[in-house]
Parts: sequence; structure tokens; C-alpha cells
Amino acid sequence: MNGMMIFKVALRALLRNKVRSILTALGIIVGIAAVIAVVAIGEGASTSMKAQISSMGDNMLIVFGGSMKKGGVHGGSGGFQTLMSEDGEAMSRDYPELIKAYTPLVRSGGQAIYQENNWATQIQGVTPTFVAVRKWDVASGVFFTDADLRAGARVCVVGQTIVDSLFNGQDPIGETFRVRNIPFKVLGVLSKKGTTSMGQDQDDIIIMPLTTVKRVLRRGSFNNVDQLLFSIYDMGQMAEAKRAMSDLLRQRHRLGPTVEDDFTIIDMTEISDMLTSVSSMMTILMAVVASISLLVGGIGIMNIMLVSVTERTREIGLRMAIGAAPVAILLQFLTEAAVLSTLGGVLGILLGVGGAYTVGDLNKWPIYVTPISVVISFGFSAFVGIFFGFYPALRASRLNPIDCLRYE
Amino acid sequence: MGQEDVWALNGVTLQVKKGEFVAIMGHSGSGKSTLLNVLGCLDVPTSGRYILDGTPVAGMNRAALARVRNQKIGFVFQSFNLLSRTTARENVELPMLYNPTAPRGKALHDRAEYLLEHVGLGDRMLHTPGQLSGGQQQRVAIARALMNNPPLLLADEPTGNLDSHASQEIMHYFRKLNEQGQTIVMVTHETDIAAYAKRKIVMRDGKVLP
Repeated sequence: MNGMMIFKVALRALLRNKVRSILTALGIIVGIAAVIAVVAIGEGASTSMKAQISSMGDNMLIVFGGSMKKGGVHGGSGGFQTLMSEDGEAMSRDYPELIKAYTPLVRSGGQAIYQENNWATQIQGVTPTFVAVRKWDVASGVFFTDADLRAGARVCVVGQTIVDSLFNGQDPIGETFRVRNIPFKVLGVLSKKGTTSMGQDQDDIIIMPLTTVKRVLRRGSFNNVDQLLFSIYDMGQMAEAKRAMSDLLRQRHRLGPTVEDDFTIIDMTEISDMLTSVSSMMTILMAVVASISLLVGGIGIMNIMLVSVTERTREIGLRMAIGAAPVAILLQFLTEAAVLSTLGGVLGILLGVGGAYTVGDLNKWPIYVTPISVVISFGFSAFVGIFFGFYPALRASRLNPIDCLRYE
Repeated sequence: MGQEDVWALNGVTLQVKKGEFVAIMGHSGSGKSTLLNVLGCLDVPTSGRYILDGTPVAGMNRAALARVRNQKIGFVFQSFNLLSRTTARENVELPMLYNPTAPRGKALHDRAEYLLEHVGLGDRMLHTPGQLSGGQQQRVAIARALMNNPPLLLADEPTGNLDSHASQEIMHYFRKLNEQGQTIVMVTHETDIAAYAKRKIVMRDGKVLP
């Protein structure tokens, strides 16, 4: 009796009792489907969270000015205007192996007016390298140039929300709108970024040359900026870059060893790690709950297999009488349990994937079915079948053929 | 109350030669079924020897006994013991599935079909037991017993569940098989059935009556 034969015999025995086979596998089907669906939903959430975070920039490191204590009072982020555009330039110059791109950033805001529409929005002043740092390019038109930056030209690029609210969705390129009665010309429209996981609309923004914001909107004479944005070559260099940045800024700001930092460095990977650790904890928790249902499914298989052994006592007796060795009986029942549970596993995977996408569609949740979860579920269902099928199979193989043939 | 030893068989000496057709008779409790179990290698005697087709069977483990049953013995039962919801052909093929030296695939089907034709069920090969009469079911069981071409055919009350017409058919078939050289040992308590055999053995209280 070779493996193929045992498999055929087991399959035939299962097909002879289709309804019972399906009912037996149901526990496994539901358990696997639950695991697959839960993991797919969880992974979808965490993947989209990661995508959102990476959409904020390319391995971004942000330096805020401020948080210096003066006379016991914390100024908070941006409270003191100590951060210079030159700080960032020095950093780029000193660490070319770390810094891929850099832009200083100043923030402003105001009521933008175009024809009969007006819209309050935030305005950021940056350099053209902003495109590289934030991995955010124009979808149409052009970004402003270094020449615009040097000239402090009254030009800008706008986010999609501005197009929708200020320009009624019309193409704004070449149009002029006003902020505080100063006209600005739209050169381009930024590609859509969407809402952050914190609910902030990233597309509700106007980007201008740094010099324009400082001279025209803020009318400042100081050379300070609000933020320095850096893009680091490799994720693994984050810690090194932060340390280098901190040392350089302390040195340039002439802070003594006992003085606190007058800046704050934020690493986007920290936020990303925090968010993903929360979501993966939820996924694990739900997967544990789903696994328990899988265990129950396994016990269901054992229960039905035990009933099946009792019910098929005469069949077992006959098979033994015509020459089935105990090991052949053991393997037959074991194979039946394994086939049942793996088929249940396959159906469960299909059901779980389908269910996850259905739920995802209804709730507009992102879904990501990881190949590893499918492989593990399949392996686990086979294991459940063999583990819980072994005892009934062993019992069947130990039966005495004479008693079996006499069994009513 | 302790257990009492029961001697189902005691001092039985029996020789069945190749080509014989033996009927074992006796009342219930006479030990005839136990004797058949021993002959069929389903049970082993507490003491004594049993030599089947030149092979001493005593002392074999369960796997070895299963192999002997598979290759040297064909069983026919009172209640047919066919697998339900399984075609006649598949039922007949069953012993060969447990025979490692048996052919597979088409040769297996051919052998089963040949035997089913031989027992007169050539047109019922794909019927399941539920679609067959008692006599037909028993003929499927006989075809199954012959599948591995065993030297010994054992029948336990083969007509016990059949009407007299079907009983006669089955017994005619047994006699035909015997004439072709098949050794048959049959247990029965009906004298008219035993009459088909060439030799009768009567048992009482675990002993063979002279």
C-alpha cells in the first residue's frame, strides 16, 4: 500500500460522506478564514500607515528650532528663532555621505483670494530641493526654480485642495491669486498626497520660494527659519545622522555642555515604528483569538474522526480481514484527517481572502494578504489534522478484526 | 468473581488438503466460528500449531498476519461486508490495494471486471451494494475474496442472509469453484447447505466429533 494508494482510499472514504466531511472541515475553514482575514486587515492597515508615513518624505529628518529653557521657562518647539538656513547648508556640506537632499522651511499662512473665492491655508517657503526631500513633485506645470528663489519671485505651486476650493477645480496654472493683497502666480500643481493618519489634509497647502515668504509675507529681516528638512540616503544611517546633526547644531549655536538643546530633531522612522508597533500588536492579538477558533476546529476534527472510527468499525474489520495491516489503517485515518483539514485550510484561505476584501471594500479599508500568512495557515491546518487525527487513527489501528466484524 | 477460562477450542486436529471443500457444522457455541477465525488468521491459538500453505502461522505479529490474510485467504461473510456507497468493482479491487505486489491501474480494473463477469455480474460493475440484491451482493463478496487468488477460501455462513433460491445459486458457484481446484472451508449450521461440500466436520464443545 503506497502513499498514492492511501491517499486515494482516504479521499474515497471522505467523498462517500460528503456532508459530514464538509461539516467536519467547517471548524478549520472558519478558523483559517478568520486568521487570514484578520491578518490581511491588520497588515493592510499597517502597510497603508507605512505608506502614508513614507509619503511624508524620503527617510526624513526634521529639525525644529526652539525648546530652549530661559530662566526656567520652556519656549516649546519653534519658540526661539535660532535655526538658520546656514545650519542645514553646513550639515549638507560636512556630511555629504549622509545627506541626500536638504531644504529649509518657513511657515506662514493667510487668506488666499481668487475672484469670488477665498480660502484660509498654510503657506510654506522652501527651496527647489523640497521636491527631492519630500518626494513630492508637481503633477502639472513646473516647480519654481533657483532663479525664482534668488529673486524672491511672487510665484508658487499649490496643492490639490487649493485647486478644488480656490479655483473650483479649474486648471490654475498661469492664474494669479492674492494673499494680503499681494498677487502670486501659480506655476504648478502638486501631486495628491491625501490625508495623514492624524487627519491632516496634506494637499491644503501653498508652496513658495523661501525668500518670497520671508520678505514679502513675513517681512522679516532675520535670517532664521522654522524647520530644516533633510532626506537621508539610507534608513540605517538615521541614528548616525541625528547624532551628527545634534553635534553640529550645538557647536554652531555655541551651546555649552550644560545648556539644553535649542532645537528638536524628529526622525520619521520613530513615528512610523510607534504606529506600526501598535497596529502589529492589534494584529497579533486578533490572530491569537482566531487561532483559538482553529484549535476548536481541530478538536472538532478529532471528535468527528472518533465518531467515524466507531461508525466504521465493520469497515475497519473488513479491511483488516482482507489484509490491511494496522499501519495501513492508521495511515488511512490519519490521511483522512489531514486531507480534511488541509482542504478545509484551502477553503478557509479562499474564504478569508474573499471575506477580507469584501469587508475592506465595504469599509474602505486597505487589505493586504501576506503570502506568509497563507503559507503558515496552510501548514497549520495540515498540522492540526495530523495532530488531532492521530489519536482516532491509532484507536482504529488497534482494533481487533474479529470484534469489528461482529460489531453491530 | 474471577474470570473463568473458556476453551472455545480444545484439542482440535484438522487437516484440509488442497482442493477440498469442507463444511464445518455445529450448534452455536460449538467453537466453529473460533475455528474459522483461527483458520483465517484473525485469531491465534493459545497453544498449538497452524500451518497454512506450508507456512507456520503461530507467533506472527499483526502486520505479518495481515499479509498472510491478504495473500493466502479469501473471506466470504454472512453479512457480505461490502463497503457501502462504493461500486461493485471498487469493492472487488479492495484486497489488491493492500497487496504490495499486485498490479495497479488498468490491470487492477481488468482483474476485478474479469472476476465480476465470472460471478455473473458483468453488467453490474458500477452498481453500489444498495442497488444490488442479497445474492448479487454475496457474489460481489466472492469476487472480492478471489481477487488475490488465495489458496484458501473461507466462508462464514455464506447463505445465512439469503433466500433459498439465492442460497442455491451461491452454493452452485462454490461447487464450480471447487471443481476448478479452489480449496474451500465453509461454516454453516444448515444441513442442506453443508450437503454441497465434499466433506463434513461436526463440532461440539470445542472439539471435532469423529
